[in-house]
Amino acid sequence: MKNVRRGTALIAVAAASALVVSACGSGKSGDSGDGMIVGTTDKVVSIDPAGSYDNGSMTVQTQVYQYLLNFPAGSTELTPDAAEKCEFDAKDGTKYVCTLKSGLKFANGNDLTASDVAFSFNRIVKINDPNGPASLLGAMKSVEATDDSTVTFTLAAPNDQTFPQILVTSAGPIVDEETYPADKVLDDDAAVKANGFSGPYTIGSYEKNQLAEFKANPDYNGTYGKAKTKAVTMKYYAKAENLKLDVQNGDIDVAFRSLTPTDIASLEQNDKVKVHKGAGGELRYMVFNLKTMPGDDVAQKLAVRKAVASSIDRAELANDVYKGTYTPAFSMVPAGQAGATEAFKDAYGEAPDAAKAKAFLDDAGVKTPVDIKLQYNPDHYGSSSAEEYAAIKRQLEDTKLFKVDLQSTEWNTYSETYNADGYPVFQLGWFPDFPDADNYLSPFLSPYDKKTPGNFTNSHYNELGTDNADDQMSKLLNSERVDGDQASREATLGKIQERLADQVPYLPLLTGTQVAIAGTDVKGVETTLDASFKFRFTSLSK
Amino acid sequence: MTAEVLAPAEPPTADPVRRRGGLNPLARYLLTRLVLLIPMIWLLVTMVFVMMRVIGDPIQAALGGRLPPEQIAERKAAAGLDRPILTQYWEYLSGLLRGDFGVTLTDNRKVTDILVVNGAATLELAFWSLIVAFAVGVPLGRLAARYRDQLPDVLLRLFSILVYAAPVFFVGLLLKLAFTPFGWPSSGRASTGTELTLQQVEPQTHIMIVDALLWGEPSLIWDVLQHAMLPAIALGLLTGGVFIRLVRVNLLQTLRMDYVTAARARGVSERRVLSKHAFRNALVPVVTVMGMQIAILLGGAILTETTFEWKGLGYALSEYLIKRDFLAVQGIVTVIALIVGVMSFVIDAIVALVDPRVRF
Repeated sequence: MKNVRRGTALIAVAAASALVVSACGSGKSGDSGDGMIVGTTDKVVSIDPAGSYDNGSMTVQTQVYQYLLNFPAGSTELTPDAAEKCEFDAKDGTKYVCTLKSGLKFANGNDLTASDVAFSFNRIVKINDPNGPASLLGAMKSVEATDDSTVTFTLAAPNDQTFPQILVTSAGPIVDEETYPADKVLDDDAAVKANGFSGPYTIGSYEKNQLAEFKANPDYNGTYGKAKTKAVTMKYYAKAENLKLDVQNGDIDVAFRSLTPTDIASLEQNDKVKVHKGAGGELRYMVFNLKTMPGDDVAQKLAVRKAVASSIDRAELANDVYKGTYTPAFSMVPAGQAGATEAFKDAYGEAPDAAKAKAFLDDAGVKTPVDIKLQYNPDHYGSSSAEEYAAIKRQLEDTKLFKVDLQSTEWNTYSETYNADGYPVFQLGWFPDFPDADNYLSPFLSPYDKKTPGNFTNSHYNELGTDNADDQMSKLLNSERVDGDQASREATLGKIQERLADQVPYLPLLTGTQVAIAGTDVKGVETTLDASFKFRFTSLSK
Repeated sequence: MTAEVLAPAEPPTADPVRRRGGLNPLARYLLTRLVLLIPMIWLLVTMVFVMMRVIGDPIQAALGGRLPPEQIAERKAAAGLDRPILTQYWEYLSGLLRGDFGVTLTDNRKVTDILVVNGAATLELAFWSLIVAFAVGVPLGRLAARYRDQLPDVLLRLFSILVYAAPVFFVGLLLKLAFTPFGWPSSGRASTGTELTLQQVEPQTHIMIVDALLWGEPSLIWDVLQHAMLPAIALGLLTGGVFIRLVRVNLLQTLRMDYVTAARARGVSERRVLSKHAFRNALVPVVTVMGMQIAILLGGAILTETTFEWKGLGYALSEYLIKRDFLAVQGIVTVIALIVGVMSFVIDAIVALVDPRVRF
């Protein structure tokens, strides 16, 4: 018992000492006061570009890596970053040649050469990590360093207008050949230690998905220009409510992704912070599995799709569910993108029209009410999905033409099941890889079969060798991709969207604005919230 | 006096506490418990392995639907998951002995890094929570016993049931609502500036309060203590509620014992009877129960950590479960099982030290 007493006394003394020592403190939080703190609920999968293809990783990569080309803040016009110039070979349109700026270096002192650039792209393809962006490089047949400052890409199709934009995606960061392995993903701590960064910032302290400290790279001379803030700390949150609390209390300077619409609406009433909204691009849509959806034949299935398209009130979803953080989408290509139209509004009207919906079903001899099994996912596209799909169910049933069985499933099972034709009608969302209309069309509409992947939604639309193959759509897509004439390309894009609205394999619902909440003293947030989806710390200052 | 009489007496072989092999009962008891710990841990890690395999192979779980079947098969082969289950089991056990838990499938992170960084956070939270549990449970339990069946006793019993029954995240949210308006930190283990500073501590233990003490800056220590307060209260009250009832019941039972009656008969004051004679003995079962409470604390930590952005093992476990990264889950669950096993041994040792009846 004596020992216990002694132990208890020791604990008491230790606790008391800690309290006394702490009481002597100034009471300050320990914040440095310099620099800026940005909070997010995004997660980093990998700093190494070969091992990630997600928003959280891309935000880090945007700060620390250079790309051949890039988008300056507030613009979607491609500008040389590490490259001095990039252009299609006039004689051979399948060759895309980039010449590097001279004197480029990584922060660890290694030279950044054409060999590093070729290495960066080749290793992504070779590693082909399941979390990585290898799929983005499908248009690239090969890449090689022609000399120390010249990189030549050989493309699958001549004059592929989308390829320069792919250089700015998750597949585009340039890594240091001397510190990154060619055949495996480098873990984050090793990447930080290797310091093979040549972007506007390097990484100081790093604790994965907890805290990352970015320090301005004095040698950076690229698209973004010099960093306005010398040190930016990224703080990672598990819960949006804590992110909201911290930004409204001033514990962090900027909250970038993802607060709930209710939180954003509440913060708009708060004088201490400012809600910044920028160009959108995120798309929320419904997919019809053409194989398993309701309808006895192709004509009936099409009638059901058109009837659904005529029954949805997008404005209600945007205003009541998303409090204006989303706007109605009447095409898969969001308004504001070059070539975007409002094909679905033209075909089915802006507001729901039950009479029109009934006419579609009656003409095709579809018995009503149509039973629809509708699936949504509660954990991948934001917490408001449940409310959104409850509203859609109500809107459809209000027409008396549909009876909706609404179900939800967590993401891993969800993604497996929709790929296995498990859901007749289901929710999906899309974050574009680059700001071009093609990125909202090709991934959904390209022809595909078992040997040629081309449609990640597995909707069976334009599936080769089936009734759903759409040769006309394939021709239109092939045409717009390689058309260097902007006016002619936009006309083709318009035709694609018109045909999409006519076939309705997908029903675009809403397009999102980018939202960041910042203290009133923070400048530059709106500048970086542009359609390129690059959140650049270089733009931020206080 | 004869030489025989003067001969030195033999050593006291009749020492009642010494047994076979020259070990005293305490050492023998601890040795037995230590030896029993090995099969217990083996059983625990085997159960974790079996459970993880019963729900499917980790590659399919994490990457199924994202890769074609042939690539899934390649990755299974690369990870050795296409080999006989006993071979996999042997490699799993030998990996554990080497401290190699593998690399996560979803974010390419060494599982040992997660165990070190997040494990330190969970241990720190468990430590603060136990302090809260003792600070709340022991004095209030004593108070309840003293005022048995009177108003304070009734209120305290009600309080103990409430804090035990209330979900941890609910208590956490209430605390946040109550304290945040006063500027009290409600999430994270420290302010951003403090965390950045403490990342420079050498050697970094990842236990914030230890790192802050090593750094020696009072404001950082205060910052860490402030951040620990709400999560520690939320989780500590859960166990504190149990302690209140336990101390009360044990104290009441002890007060009915003969030696207490004897003390009273000798005229010892009631206050002295309570504090000097009954109270300490009543604490022994509390220490025993504390072992079981460690497992409850670790379970509760999952919700507490998520509520308060306290990025410990519970938080990591929930994240990797959602992503179905079962290699990470396997490592974390194994370590939690080890912690519970080892803590159970430590508690047994403490109980044996303070209560001689246990070791006989």
